[in-house]
Amino acid sequence: MRPQQWLYAIPLRLRSLFRRNHVEQELSEELEFHLDKKTEEYINAGQSAEEARRKSFREFGGLEQSKENSRDARRVNVIETLIQDVRFGIRMLLKNAGFTATAVLTLALGIGANTAIFSMVNSFLLRPLPVKNPEQIAALAFRQKKGALQNNFSFPELEDLQNQSSSVFSDVFGEQLGAGGLTINGKTEPIFIFYVSGNFFAGLDVKPYLGRYILPSEGSLTSINPVIVLGYNYWQTRFAGDPNIVGKTVLYDGHPVTVIGVTPKEFHGLFFFADTQGYLPFGMEQIDSSYTPDLPTNREDRTLLVYARLRSGVALNQAQSALDVLSDRLSRQYPASDEGLAICAYPERISRPQPDPDKTILKIAALFLILAGLVLMLACVNVANFLLVRATARQREMAIRTALGGTRFRLIRQLLTESILLSLLGGAVGILFGLSASNALSSIHLATSLPVLLNFDFDWRVFGYAFAAALVTGLVVGIVPALRASRRGVTEVIRDGGRTMSGSRSRLRTVLVVVQVGGSLMLLIVAGLMMRSLNYVQRSDLGFEPRHVLNLSLDPGEIGYNKVQGLQFYKQLIERIDSLPGVESASAAFTVPMGYYASMDSIDVPGYEVPAGVAPPIAAYNAVSPGYFRTMSIPLLEGREFTNADVETSQWVAVINETMAKKFWPKESAIGHDFKLVSDRVHSLRIVGVAKNSRTSGFSGPFREYFYQPLAQNYSSLATVQVRTTFPPETMTAAIREQVAALAPSMPVFDVHTMLQGLYTLNGLLVYELAAALAGVLGALGLVLALVGVFGVISFTVSQRTNEIGIRMAMGASQNIILQMILRQGFWIVSGGIVAGIVLALAIARLVGNFIAGVSPYDPITYLGVSALLGLVALLACYLPARRATRVDPVVALRYE
Amino acid sequence: MYRTLGNRGERVSKPSDLVQGTLDLLLLKILALQPMNGWAVSLRLKQISGDVLQVSDGSLYPALHKLEQEGWITAEWKPSENNRRAKFYSLTRLGRKHLEKEAANWSRLSAAISHVVRLEEA
Repeated sequence: MRPQQWLYAIPLRLRSLFRRNHVEQELSEELEFHLDKKTEEYINAGQSAEEARRKSFREFGGLEQSKENSRDARRVNVIETLIQDVRFGIRMLLKNAGFTATAVLTLALGIGANTAIFSMVNSFLLRPLPVKNPEQIAALAFRQKKGALQNNFSFPELEDLQNQSSSVFSDVFGEQLGAGGLTINGKTEPIFIFYVSGNFFAGLDVKPYLGRYILPSEGSLTSINPVIVLGYNYWQTRFAGDPNIVGKTVLYDGHPVTVIGVTPKEFHGLFFFADTQGYLPFGMEQIDSSYTPDLPTNREDRTLLVYARLRSGVALNQAQSALDVLSDRLSRQYPASDEGLAICAYPERISRPQPDPDKTILKIAALFLILAGLVLMLACVNVANFLLVRATARQREMAIRTALGGTRFRLIRQLLTESILLSLLGGAVGILFGLSASNALSSIHLATSLPVLLNFDFDWRVFGYAFAAALVTGLVVGIVPALRASRRGVTEVIRDGGRTMSGSRSRLRTVLVVVQVGGSLMLLIVAGLMMRSLNYVQRSDLGFEPRHVLNLSLDPGEIGYNKVQGLQFYKQLIERIDSLPGVESASAAFTVPMGYYASMDSIDVPGYEVPAGVAPPIAAYNAVSPGYFRTMSIPLLEGREFTNADVETSQWVAVINETMAKKFWPKESAIGHDFKLVSDRVHSLRIVGVAKNSRTSGFSGPFREYFYQPLAQNYSSLATVQVRTTFPPETMTAAIREQVAALAPSMPVFDVHTMLQGLYTLNGLLVYELAAALAGVLGALGLVLALVGVFGVISFTVSQRTNEIGIRMAMGASQNIILQMILRQGFWIVSGGIVAGIVLALAIARLVGNFIAGVSPYDPITYLGVSALLGLVALLACYLPARRATRVDPVVALRYE
Repeated sequence: MYRTLGNRGERVSKPSDLVQGTLDLLLLKILALQPMNGWAVSLRLKQISGDVLQVSDGSLYPALHKLEQEGWITAEWKPSENNRRAKFYSLTRLGRKHLEKEAANWSRLSAAISHVVRLEEA
């Protein structure tokens, strides 16, 4: 229809729809007029009034038909029918409240599981940053000589990027993670902050909630501008939302800074997982006790996360070409530091928590969406089965409707309306389930005092997803029963009274249940693998002894201690703790195994030839105080550990792990050899000891090169004091806190937990536990759904075959024979399902393999054990209805027919 | 049997001997001459086409309503001769254009068909 025609049609259709009675009446009146005229004509021709009337009716040819055709011509029947169908559907659902409740609950479980998982995927991968044109924000990372992707840039590199990529980026901005203390009214608390470049907020283009942001002129690394921007939540909790906060002075790490603004509520910074509490300009790093004076110029001291905003109209791949050119130029200009540089830009949305070419998050998301999708599929099969049963029961109704003129299309539409109503209800309840599930997920304890932000809130994307899932579910569960219910001929149905059912229908249901058993087996196998993997990591030898250790985090910088004061403080504190009863050993370290802080750098080992075009070796490291190896029970294989004589001015030393020793000095002892960090070419580290390998993050795979430095030679103000006790470690907390308070009354102590608890982080056991728990819940859901399916289909067979069973028994079949007969069917379903499930599990094994440790994704024990277990339970679900079959009384069964 | 009893999808009173769209063309042409009510249209139809084109009264009204929905004709309730009100249909501007186009099409088509028919006879 052309647009001009709509001009006429729309008012007419609206009128037909909303003033239906009026339009109907007009239609009657119009036709009545015609009939009266005709009658008049016949009367004038000399016929009796009655005869004339009858004749004109006959000639008209079906008054109601004509009216209906006129209604069709108005084309609003579509909507009217829909309303009718919905009304009728609601009536049908209310009539069978038990059935409706079961089906809705089943679908709600499936949709709820999907919605909860999707809400996580949404927050990781889909929800844009709350900034203007978020799709223009790119995260930058680089590779050197085809080495591993690195996320951190040095200050000179950031400057080069800012100055030389303005053709494609309107802003390139950087941030550096920092942790410090904020003091108000003499009370200090840790604050999670970022040092940011001057164009950080301008580049992101967010408006301040209060005050102003850090200006480009304040962002220089070489000048100190004592200002701070607060995060909204921090301002709310720490300052009780003080509206006059702007202009007030607080102490950051003991230095006065002025609050200049507050970020908006929905903005949490760029660091995924955490709610950034404050932003300081780069120059404020100078007051940090671990600041090194060559930071602004050292191209290899890489600490910055760098983001950029694409100029409008510039695509990411165009920007990438510009970065390729820039990388080449830097590579040639600074061969010592930047040779083989390749800077890459990634969309910010898929770079959470950091750019990752392996797409780990995407893989996890895919895996769990597949598993949750499978649960929904199992739920669909159950509901489809319910509907098939009902379709059989409603065959008479359908036949009568057909006889009364309902077309097949019309019947299918009616049935689909019912199933979609059902699934939309299921979706609504499912959203409630999903909400509570995702609330539970987002309040997981992460064993850290970091302001964790797991925001799995439901936004329109999640609701849209749930709605779409419900709609598709409704179609999927409804289409087959609808097609079938409307297929049989009237005569056939009326003849046999809708009691028997054709073999093919029963076969379809059986196939569906086989698929269901298979799907649930796959879910259970995945859950089994994840649980075995969790079990493995919980028992695995970490290379250190996590039991009987208490961790307490401190940061003397928070109350303004400089490096000398801080080192003195740690030394005195450890001495005091050491002398407490029940303490075996105490030490301090920057990195805690499986914790959230870690250091890593490229190293330069004299005598070790790095092949041309290959990136220099990388090693992770820790800064520890004397006594560390005793406290952690990490055996030293050779040499000595650190002592109080290893100070900043003495020879710099290192203890390396076995792997590192074997890699660089395979034929001789590593003791006495030197190496350097590329970020610090001044100091040579002399190896004084070799320690046994221990796990620092992750539980499986080969050990990586790792080394330790004395805290005095690589100072970090933020450190964790670890105490090995003979008493249960948590009972020592108060005594140790007392010692801290005795030395420095205002020093905050945070993240106090046992080392065992400390293993449950996102870098440690928590991921395995979460994966196992999620997969376990999905597996349990799948199992229940499959059992209901098996039970349902066998029960149905029994009820359909009651008559036959009665005859068999009347002919002398024993109860055992009947039992076997029914169980045989169950056996085929279950074994078919097990084969299908194993095939499905093998198909997904490679993906699962990414997320399990210490167990093969093809682990035969898991496959066989879980299959046997499922087979047993499923056969039990068959046994119950089968036993009912043996109780059939032949007399009753025969009379029933 | 039941299929044909009252199947809503099929239009029972559809004139089978009229080429699709021909009735529309006829009605538009009739209404182009002057606005009239359904009854008058039916009379005129009989009058001009005699017994050749049999259009039942029952199929006339759906056809008129369809034309109205298409926006080619518009309807108005007006008093008829003995003061009883009747629904009068008249052509819209769009309808007039459509009629011109369809009439031209029809001439072309019928000319072509006559031509073919004559060829066969020869």
